[in-house]
Amino acid sequence: MGMFSESVDVTCSASGQPLKLHWAGRLYTVCAEPVRWYERRDWWAEERRAPLGSGPGLVDHEIWRVQVLPGHQDSAEPLTLDLTRHIGSGRWRLLRIHDALQPRTA
Amino acid sequence: MTFTHLHVSTAFSAHYGVSWPDELAQVAAADGATALACTDRDGLYGTIKHLKACMAAGIDPIVGVDLAVFDDDGDHRTQLAGRVVVLARGHNNGAGYRALCRLVSDAHARTSGKAGGTVPVAVTRAELASRTLDPTTLKPVLTVLIGPDSDVGRAMGGRRYLRPRTLFKAWLEAMPAGTLVAEVVSQLTAPGAPRSTAHAVRMLKLAEEHHVPAVLTNAVRYCAEDGAATADVLDSARTLKSLPELAAEPLLQPNGQAWLKSADHMLQLGREIIHAAGYGTADLKQLMAQTEALADFCRIDPVSDMGWKQPVVPEASVIGISQDPHVELVQRCEAGISRRYPGVSGQARLVMRSRLEHELGIIRTLGFSSYFLTVAEVSRMILDMGVRAAARGSGASSLVNYLIDISQVDPLQHDLIFERFLSQDRATLPDIDIDVESAERHNVYRKIFDRFGAERVTLMSMQNGYRARGAVRDAGMALGMDDDDVGEIAKQLWRFSARKFREALAEKPELREFAGRVEQRGFAENQQLDLLVDLTERLDRLPRHISMHPCGVILGDANLLDRTPVQPSGLGLPMSQFDKHDMDPMGMLKLDVLGVRMQSAMAFAVREIIRIHPSKEEVVAAGSHTSGPDGAGPHYIAGNGHIDLNAVPLDDEATFDLIRSTHTLGCFQIESPGQRELIGKMAPRDFNDLIIDISLFRPGPMKSDMVRPFLEHRHGFAPEVYPHPDLKPVLQETHGVTVFHEQILKTFHVMTGCGLARADEFRRALGNEVLELKVEEYFRREARLKGYSPDVVDKVWGTLKAFGSFGFCKAHGAAFAVPTYQSAWLKAHHPEAFLAGLWEHDPGMYPKRLLVAEARRLGIPILPLDINRSQAEYRVERVADGPDTGKLGIRLSLNGIYGLSGAELKRIVAGQPYDSLADLRARSRLTKPSIKRLAQLGAFDSLHREAGGGANRADLVQHLQKLQATGNTRKAADVMEGQLSLPLGDVELRNVKPGLPAPTLVENVRAELDLMALDVSGHLMDSHRPMLDRLGVITADKLLGLRNGTEVLVAGVRIATQTPPMRGGRRVVFISIDDGTGCIDSVFFHEAQEQAGLLLFGTRLLLIRGTTRRTGPRGISLSASMAWDLSRVETLPFPESRVEITDVPHPLDGISRSLAITGMGG
Repeated sequence: MGMFSESVDVTCSASGQPLKLHWAGRLYTVCAEPVRWYERRDWWAEERRAPLGSGPGLVDHEIWRVQVLPGHQDSAEPLTLDLTRHIGSGRWRLLRIHDALQPRTA
Repeated sequence: MTFTHLHVSTAFSAHYGVSWPDELAQVAAADGATALACTDRDGLYGTIKHLKACMAAGIDPIVGVDLAVFDDDGDHRTQLAGRVVVLARGHNNGAGYRALCRLVSDAHARTSGKAGGTVPVAVTRAELASRTLDPTTLKPVLTVLIGPDSDVGRAMGGRRYLRPRTLFKAWLEAMPAGTLVAEVVSQLTAPGAPRSTAHAVRMLKLAEEHHVPAVLTNAVRYCAEDGAATADVLDSARTLKSLPELAAEPLLQPNGQAWLKSADHMLQLGREIIHAAGYGTADLKQLMAQTEALADFCRIDPVSDMGWKQPVVPEASVIGISQDPHVELVQRCEAGISRRYPGVSGQARLVMRSRLEHELGIIRTLGFSSYFLTVAEVSRMILDMGVRAAARGSGASSLVNYLIDISQVDPLQHDLIFERFLSQDRATLPDIDIDVESAERHNVYRKIFDRFGAERVTLMSMQNGYRARGAVRDAGMALGMDDDDVGEIAKQLWRFSARKFREALAEKPELREFAGRVEQRGFAENQQLDLLVDLTERLDRLPRHISMHPCGVILGDANLLDRTPVQPSGLGLPMSQFDKHDMDPMGMLKLDVLGVRMQSAMAFAVREIIRIHPSKEEVVAAGSHTSGPDGAGPHYIAGNGHIDLNAVPLDDEATFDLIRSTHTLGCFQIESPGQRELIGKMAPRDFNDLIIDISLFRPGPMKSDMVRPFLEHRHGFAPEVYPHPDLKPVLQETHGVTVFHEQILKTFHVMTGCGLARADEFRRALGNEVLELKVEEYFRREARLKGYSPDVVDKVWGTLKAFGSFGFCKAHGAAFAVPTYQSAWLKAHHPEAFLAGLWEHDPGMYPKRLLVAEARRLGIPILPLDINRSQAEYRVERVADGPDTGKLGIRLSLNGIYGLSGAELKRIVAGQPYDSLADLRARSRLTKPSIKRLAQLGAFDSLHREAGGGANRADLVQHLQKLQATGNTRKAADVMEGQLSLPLGDVELRNVKPGLPAPTLVENVRAELDLMALDVSGHLMDSHRPMLDRLGVITADKLLGLRNGTEVLVAGVRIATQTPPMRGGRRVVFISIDDGTGCIDSVFFHEAQEQAGLLLFGTRLLLIRGTTRRTGPRGISLSASMAWDLSRVETLPFPESRVEITDVPHPLDGISRSLAITGMGG
């Protein structure tokens, strides 16, 4: 598993689920139902301020685990990626690339 | 669609919940919810506030608790098997709420009430099961939610299939049918983690398998996402581990999703869970519908379920009354008339009679007769115990209270208004407060429990919230900062709310250094300090724990414990989980039985006077009391010398002389620097002046500059002004200035004819944004109708508006003035006994050493510690030899010596007298360090002198030190019981080898400070005198002779630091120092604070430069311009150009123990 923090462009459905993503010049399509959760951050180490009224996104961030296939290459193995959406800007970043398909735990 | 949150912790879940009931109820209501639950952890701490908040928000309250359950398979008293939520069912005439109260009390019944107890707050499953059904109808009245924190929920991890099922079945078997539901929670944590959707699905399926209803909750800890960081810090404070440590374990909440989500969010959550479970829309509908169905079952009717605002008092039969309580009350009042007003007649009788009828009428209408009888019963019980007691507060406004001996103040004489205490328009139980001797308070409590029965009495609790210092400590711990670092910062935080920390950094000079660090350090430290400020602000005011309220006792009928949960207090007696704000809503009768140290000190003084002067003649002579025309002496002194303080007439000239001298250290209420300044200016002449003085010395009047015009008019510097002649009778006693609530009531009444009861309602509305407008409208309209000019109306309204919300109730002032007067009377006539009482009970605001200095100033000999003469208490003693022969002195007590245990103390006193050290060792079995310390304090000096040795105290200490070090004290020859040791004198003492120089005064004083926190042999400033002379420092006793505006240097040890609220909002710091000749009060305005910086709050010994301000005929204070730390000699402003720095030995040198000798700290 590799740790990244790279910007990606994500196209979402009306309900906010990722459908397609643009990453490193290539287009990928989400090929299985994504899994979403909220993961804690070590905010006391990463942030300089935590005033009252900071709003959401200080203690945790939203993670989407998606399986994607590169566009038009039906034969390729799907990739499993963890994406996160920045709460303020709405921008997506790629957090992790999983080497192989992870078993669904839910 | 609406959604009802059934599992919500409020901030009253100490160190767990983040949001206040108000916020939660408002947010829920704004989202369209029609009900909201409050399920605090371990108790109903926030329940009543929740009720109030829900009623205000227009939604139905649901009440419950989040409780730990003992593990049936483990050690039944210590091992827990998770937590469950228990909800009370409503609309069953309180059956659900009763069961909930009792269940919560069950959970606390085995705990010790002390911090660090080993038994956790928890119930057994059997207790839980037995409470879920109503004992009479056998219908379910409680519902138990098995959720993610239960043993079942916790067994969901991994891929275990059987374990959660086994545990769930155990619940089903244990609980009566219809009392169990499954609580489904997804906080959207990582797949497979606790509180993940996967776990929610498992719980849902388990419920389905066993045909148990499932409900959806979000296990809420905060109102919105923003609260998650605060919850992290609270987790840290609760577990005493830093955030990095907790994150590693991992013990922190897995994410920040435990917020009060909207109905839409909750529906979406439900949809996700149902979808993940592979169920369909109908199942989603069912989950949401079951949640709402349970909510409907649990909606509470505050009135019928919880007795909202319905006063409950003990049954008449308990206080021994068989007839109608009101008839009884009338009879007792009649009996009181002949005692309180013997021979009253004519107009006075008419006034008294009509007042009594008026009061009794209101009391009967409100149905409060039993209440008065109950309080009278408690009051009588206390007096029968021989304990000093005095009613305080607005209760003094009532003639009924005076007649049935609850109060000692005559409301007619002082013109006190009954409506300020009770009126037809106020249906809440009034407050009657009783001050008792602090040393007897716990005995009084126990007696009340005995008298009324444990089922009718409980102590009230209080919520202790975070203040700045505690908040910064816990925030620092959460961030993993160094304890000492945080401690240093905490020390500088001086009485401001934690919420204003960042603001304070910018403004307050003593925080300047810290503020600089926040700005200048490198990223890492800087970031930490920045976060420290933010987290401190987050913790502000959040409840930390409850403790026994210092005075509140709740009295009820036999069903009291159905209405409040109780838990053990530190005292062992049960304590309600409700605080003072919950009393009125719950219709609870709260009696304030306040322990007042001054009452103990005065009782002690009266006993000492009898001991030293065991007859009336001797007391009269010693106290210079007038023997009267018949020579019989005053009526308030009994034949055996007992003084009845309450019977002392309130017009003693010597007492007022003392008060006017401003040497009032030790006197109740008038010893503070500010009060000494005020009495110096005001020069009280009679008891009413004292009442006014005490009423003026309040934040409100001080802040709004009422004092200056009052004094100007009083001294005739400016003519008295009345807004209208009609108001002259109302305001005359205070020279036209409105001081008392009573005057506000009368002003309303005079100008609008509204009646005093409504006038008090108006007074209460002042300061309330909405209500005040209505009052103003009414006042203006009615006053105009009565013909007052617009000018007058404007002016009077201005006064009412300004003073109404903070003026002082004259009845309070009158009740306070009684012990003030009594303490001053004792100081004027029997200073030795009075000071001994003060030393013994330490009632005042100052360190005890200042009252020792006061004895020195008064020329009262302070008799040193003596192994044969000192007792376990301070004692007045007639000096037998030396220059003070024949005078009364005060002998130091063996109590309060560092390291001397209570058992050692008892054995010393039991074995007195001793003829030798060997005798002392044999019979008191003191440890070697204790003997050495007693020697250092000179306790063996007289024994030593009698033995006739040539050595001094230093030699003796060295001798004992050697014995202690080598450890080979020859064991004291075993003296057989009953055998007298030969009176040989002390061979050991006689043979101590002389050689060392005798200890200097500085060394002796240092030992005294170190071991007793008192400077006895000399004042601790004495040794600085040569240096102070070189600096040109002037002493306190000389200040009064100086002109106004003289620039001086003064020096002394800090005795008090105060930052009272001031007009204009700018902080003013008062620092008082003691230099051995008296106190010097200095005031630091803004600029001087800037100059003094860190010295303001952090220094024990101060050199202050300032100019004198004459405050009255006997009053002078200092307006400071600069301060120095006296112990940093190199920084001091010596006049010579060549500064020779000599090291002056000082008694405080080398003492690192934190001693109660200076006026620092909270």
